[in-house]
Amino acid sequence: MTDPNNERDCTSRHVGCHRMVALTIAAVMLGALVLGAGSVVIAQDSSAIAGGAAPVLKVDTGDTAWVLMSSALVLAMTMPGLALFYGGLVRSKNILGTIMHSLIILCLVSLIWIFFGYSLAFGPDKGGLIGGLDWIGLSGVGSDPHPVYGPTIPHQVFMLFQLMFAAITPALITGAFAERMRFSALLLFAALWSVVIYAPVAHWIWGGGWLGKMGALDFAGGAVVHISSGVSALVCAIVLGKRKGYGTDYMAPHNLPFTLLGTGLLWFGWFGFNAGSALGANGLAGSAFLATHAAGATGALVWMCTEWMHRGKPTVLGVASGAVAGLATVTPGAGYVGPMSAIAIGAFAGVLCYFAVVWKGRMGYDDSLDVVGIHGVGGVFGILATGLFASKAVNAAGADGLFYGNAAQLGIQAVMVVAVAAFSVVGTWLILKVVDASVGLRVSPEDESTGLDLSQHDERAYS
Amino acid sequence: MMKQLCRLMTAMLPVLACLALMAGTTEGLAQEVGVPAASAPVAAAPEAPAAAVPAPPKIDTGDTTWVLVSTALVLAMTAPGLALFYGGMVRGKNALGTIMQSFIILCLISVQWVLWGYSLAFGPDKGHVIGGLEWLGLNGVGLEPNADYAATIPHQAFMIFQMMFAVITPALITGAFAERMKFSSFLVFTLLWSTLIYDPLAHWVWAVGGWVRNMGALDFAGGTVVHISSGASALACAIVLRKRLGYGKEHMMPHNLPMTVLGASLLWFGWFGFNAGSAVASGALATSAFVVTHVATATAALAWMAVEWIYRGKPTVLGAASGAVAGLVAITPASGFVGPMPAVIIGLVAGVVCYLAVLWKAKCGYDDALDVVGIHGVGGIWGALATGLFASKAINAAGADGLFYGNPAQFGIQAMTVLISVGFAFVGTFVILKLVGTMMPLCVKEEEERMGLDLSQHDERAYS
Repeated sequence: MTDPNNERDCTSRHVGCHRMVALTIAAVMLGALVLGAGSVVIAQDSSAIAGGAAPVLKVDTGDTAWVLMSSALVLAMTMPGLALFYGGLVRSKNILGTIMHSLIILCLVSLIWIFFGYSLAFGPDKGGLIGGLDWIGLSGVGSDPHPVYGPTIPHQVFMLFQLMFAAITPALITGAFAERMRFSALLLFAALWSVVIYAPVAHWIWGGGWLGKMGALDFAGGAVVHISSGVSALVCAIVLGKRKGYGTDYMAPHNLPFTLLGTGLLWFGWFGFNAGSALGANGLAGSAFLATHAAGATGALVWMCTEWMHRGKPTVLGVASGAVAGLATVTPGAGYVGPMSAIAIGAFAGVLCYFAVVWKGRMGYDDSLDVVGIHGVGGVFGILATGLFASKAVNAAGADGLFYGNAAQLGIQAVMVVAVAAFSVVGTWLILKVVDASVGLRVSPEDESTGLDLSQHDERAYS
Repeated sequence: MMKQLCRLMTAMLPVLACLALMAGTTEGLAQEVGVPAASAPVAAAPEAPAAAVPAPPKIDTGDTTWVLVSTALVLAMTAPGLALFYGGMVRGKNALGTIMQSFIILCLISVQWVLWGYSLAFGPDKGHVIGGLEWLGLNGVGLEPNADYAATIPHQAFMIFQMMFAVITPALITGAFAERMKFSSFLVFTLLWSTLIYDPLAHWVWAVGGWVRNMGALDFAGGTVVHISSGASALACAIVLRKRLGYGKEHMMPHNLPMTVLGASLLWFGWFGFNAGSAVASGALATSAFVVTHVATATAALAWMAVEWIYRGKPTVLGAASGAVAGLVAITPASGFVGPMPAVIIGLVAGVVCYLAVLWKAKCGYDDALDVVGIHGVGGIWGALATGLFASKAINAAGADGLFYGNPAQFGIQAMTVLISVGFAFVGTFVILKLVGTMMPLCVKEEEERMGLDLSQHDERAYS
């Protein structure tokens, strides 16, 4: 146990910087209050005007119901899904800190998205690189459908659905620096990351940017969500360094049933993530739903078999990880591939991600909860597999892949992998340096021994 | 003596239910015959000319899907959402007792609603204060839409959606008397509370002909009906029931905070059904309600965290979860009438005000064990008033403009609604508790409380 005096010293040393972040948040929110009060009239006026102007696109109640439900499902992936998936994997002294990462990222990114994130990602294109500021504060994002972003659902539904994606992506990264990041640093990192990395990448691929124009296929976020978070996780693991006692101390998951509950909720929510990306209740949604389920199930079984042969026992954690690997990998292809291709993708995901996680042990970086091995490797393979298995027979709006006679598609997918990975590496590295210089990335060694729950939040998970 | 009385009362519950059921089935028979006839196109055709000039209401599959899914979402708010939210906050020896309260309310009020609750709340108006008994046992509540409430979904879909609201409201109150109420007294209290407080209040505010609704009060998804009523009743419960043994002296830390966060997240997830489902259709209004619900929640969690960080030095996870729930509560009445930027303000104020209300509780000395008053009461009042400030016809033409859109009268109406619902719920609950208290003890015996509700009331342990 740590010396309580030590702990108090440590707290008082950092209390200034912690409070500074709290005050900054308070100040930003006060600013938001003013901005909000100011734009109340503007935002509502514009939606009212839009309401009268363009009656061409009609809202479909079934499509709207499905995308609304999908938005709720993707929320459930972050909270409680991912929070419990990660929370169960850490030691019990860090579970609240780990859950808090997902919870507070969800809140923070939601506000950023509404104020300007959505505009940067999906607003009118500026040179293929970024969206304009025309939709700041959701100005002009009203109840009428947007011709490109879901012509049969209110524009706000599309915005909301995308908000849930923007929220889960930085939350995925938190697994890489679990059990050692300072809370104030996390807040700063997540806010910067979602603006500097997520918004541009989403714009390039989905918001009318250069990759989208090139014909890159990413149905539900293999590159935007999984490669970006997986690669950034690798940078985080390297820059932050290992946990104290990594490789020598016993760091087994403290509550695997929590992790399994989290896995179940991720799987459940992923139907919204992938099938909801069809932006309507239609054949494409059905096909994406099926591909998602098939790949998740195959990923779990194949990981289990690989582990059984390689290590001698099939673990429950392995099955859960395999399911998540399958789900992450099929994400970019979900709307472009048929069920048999999805099974092939899931099978490869189970093997590749398993060995990526095993291989991590040799590399010596501490990606605590295997974000790189599952989301990074799964995301990269998923994007490339889309270039192999995509078929116009499944989705006429897509393209054929290599196995359907269009080798160029694989090249485009490879360009996307390189571009997103490189951008994420450089951007994340810079952000981490900025955060380190301002508030400091890691908790003190004493705080790390005490655990994040007590040192960062002054509470215990269980009593 | 007490024990006998208590047993008698508990035994009366099923008897009461059976009596009502018998009454219900006789009428239900007629309905069973009526429903298929009404829904069959052939039988409906000759009816059409007889109907009034507007086309007969037609069921929309998208709208129906959304309301059915929303119903399931609101179910998830009570069990497991609220059950785990509260269950994690009590001590380990009371986890099951606390979960059981939400779970059994879900069962009990569902039956009450079908037998007589829905008819009292939404049945044909009697003197603007209560619904008639015409819809007892769902007689006449069939698969045809009821244009008064929702023109594009089956009437039964509206009924079951409302059922989930009737269920969660008394379940919210259980946080006030957690860890000490006797299970049998709790059952009697809940049944009386739903019938005598919830059903009339829902009628006043939401039913066609209800006097508060006629006054022009705006309550989109239940700020007054659900949150103010449960919050004010929780205050009455905390005052009438004795404090927990050792309250203020012993440590009463939550035994499992991850469980509480799991519950809070499921509440958030389910609240989309609660608020956006209250549009009783899928489309622009549901979307707008969904967006503002999420925005207010995120803001309130951040605001609570920031205030706590500044005031106490650490941001707690319980604080962030409580802030999220406070934001959800506050946006509830306004969700169909305000835009996203007012939602930011509503959430911001909710996070700060509810935090202060919870702090202030400690000074008042009553034992509202899981902060129902501070979060649902105070948050609900703020939400109802905020609706009178920020409501705008640009968002919902069927609503009204608030103070900031040039209509100060609406704020006055909202303030009146708050007074009416607080007064009615507080006094009514006080009387019900006194009444139940004369028949059976409200709290468990001291040694039972020390042992914990799990063992003393249910003869089980949560963890072994």
